Amino acid sequence: MSAAARKKKSVRADRNRKKAAELLENDLDLTFAKRFFDTPLPGHAPEEWTGKLIVVEGSDGSGRSTHIALLKEWLESQGFAVETMGLRRSNLIARDLDEILAHNVVTSRTLALLYATDLYDQLENRIIPALRAGLIVLADRYFFSLVARAAVRGIARGYLEKIYGMTIRPDMTFRLKVPPQIAFEREFRKNQMISFWESGRDMHLSDSLYESFVSYQSKIAGELDVLSKKYGFIEISAEGSIPRVNEALRRHVAEHLGIRSTKFTPSSALIHLWR
Amino acid sequence: MPTAKPSSTVKTAAQPAPVPPRVTPDNPQRPYPGALIVVEGIDGSGKSTQLYLLKRWLEISGYKIHFTEWNSSPLVKSATSRGKKKKLLTPSTFSMIHAADFADRCERQILPLLQSGYLVLADRYIYTAFARDGARGCPEAWLRNLYNFAPQPDITFYFRAPLEVSINRILVGRPALKYHEAGMDLGLSLDPVESFKIFQGMILDGYDRMVATDNFVLMDGTQQVNRLQKHMRGIVRSRIDLNRYRVKP
Repeated sequence: MSAAARKKKSVRADRNRKKAAELLENDLDLTFAKRFFDTPLPGHAPEEWTGKLIVVEGSDGSGRSTHIALLKEWLESQGFAVETMGLRRSNLIARDLDEILAHNVVTSRTLALLYATDLYDQLENRIIPALRAGLIVLADRYFFSLVARAAVRGIARGYLEKIYGMTIRPDMTFRLKVPPQIAFEREFRKNQMISFWESGRDMHLSDSLYESFVSYQSKIAGELDVLSKKYGFIEISAEGSIPRVNEALRRHVAEHLGIRSTKFTPSSALIHLWR
Repeated sequence: MPTAKPSSTVKTAAQPAPVPPRVTPDNPQRPYPGALIVVEGIDGSGKSTQLYLLKRWLEISGYKIHFTEWNSSPLVKSATSRGKKKKLLTPSTFSMIHAADFADRCERQILPLLQSGYLVLADRYIYTAFARDGARGCPEAWLRNLYNFAPQPDITFYFRAPLEVSINRILVGRPALKYHEAGMDLGLSLDPVESFKIFQGMILDGYDRMVATDNFVLMDGTQQVNRLQKHMRGIVRSRIDLNRYRVKP
């Protein structure tokens, strides 16, 4: 090879290396930006997180909490560390929210903003630190439910979606689907009653508790249908038995995380859920 | 009281800002018969004193008025003060919790009273959030969306004094600055006084940027109290048809 050709080649190699470095840098920023919906949370600098955020949405009586408990045990059995979150569980404001809900004096918008405060507090103090440490965060509902609840009460969906624009984009979002009639049956069997908010009594849909529950949950489901399309939910029918539905969940999670086996039998602590 | 002119780059109130339409029952821009008067400005700018005097004048003259303060909803108060005391608040939750507080006051006091034909006087309004949360790093577009349900003020008085003047008014005769008040959560300085100065400067910049976009009436906070009040009353009289708010016997 001539000296000129060698020089040309080395210049080209240099240029390629520079390009690759640039690409890598851009890629990193892009990954960071994509972690959040619109803009990063104030005070958060670009960094790589190895953790995963897995959300389970679904109405009351869809078996959400049961499946999250089971998924947690299965993931731990596979050697993954798990953190959980849910609505109204922040240090900052959960207690106040409980009290406010008990009194029913709050307007829909204030309630929506208090729930958003609760979610952001968990995001900053629980979810992001866990993701940073490489944990898998299982979310028992995320802002999708909150958007749906507020939207059926007349607050613009876009308004709320923008408020949640600084939250983390989930790696996977499951939606457990169950008809409201079945959800009612399950909830009633579990608690021997149906709560004021679960049946949307503040919306004065019907004097019949059953009618109110069914009509409210159907409205919520309608909102979740829209969000499901937009955010690419993985929809799973929750009408089947717990082991069946849980198997479907494990299959999806295993594929995402690169786990080979989805075989699982819960420990004695959780076996009562396995029916 | 110092009489020096503010070292401001912004135009003063001498040049009239574009006047919004007068409040009339058939003005389609206003879905309510009430009127909203807002004061804004950094701590020590003199805004609360002036609004108090305006309130006294309107009360004594027999008008239907309601006075509301920033961050005062009883519903959210315990969470906010606990969050501040224990330093649990981050820029995002600080902003959200104040928005919840405002929503509660807005939907249970401000809006219903505007609808029933009151003059509502607000000591700080959404612009406080824009300036302060903006200084904490919340994006402006995000903040504007968050507060998009707030009724548009009929007059927004922006009280402005040079940073040094405002800061001296606050620091004289005050035992200690509070953590968030001094912007200590931003890590600007380990010295609370130094941090307070930097933080107030950032908020002042935020306010100054809104003068043009949000139709502020700029008030020279270094003027004598009674002179400034006379000026303020004149502006209120010229922009709002006060007869509509007289208490009917």
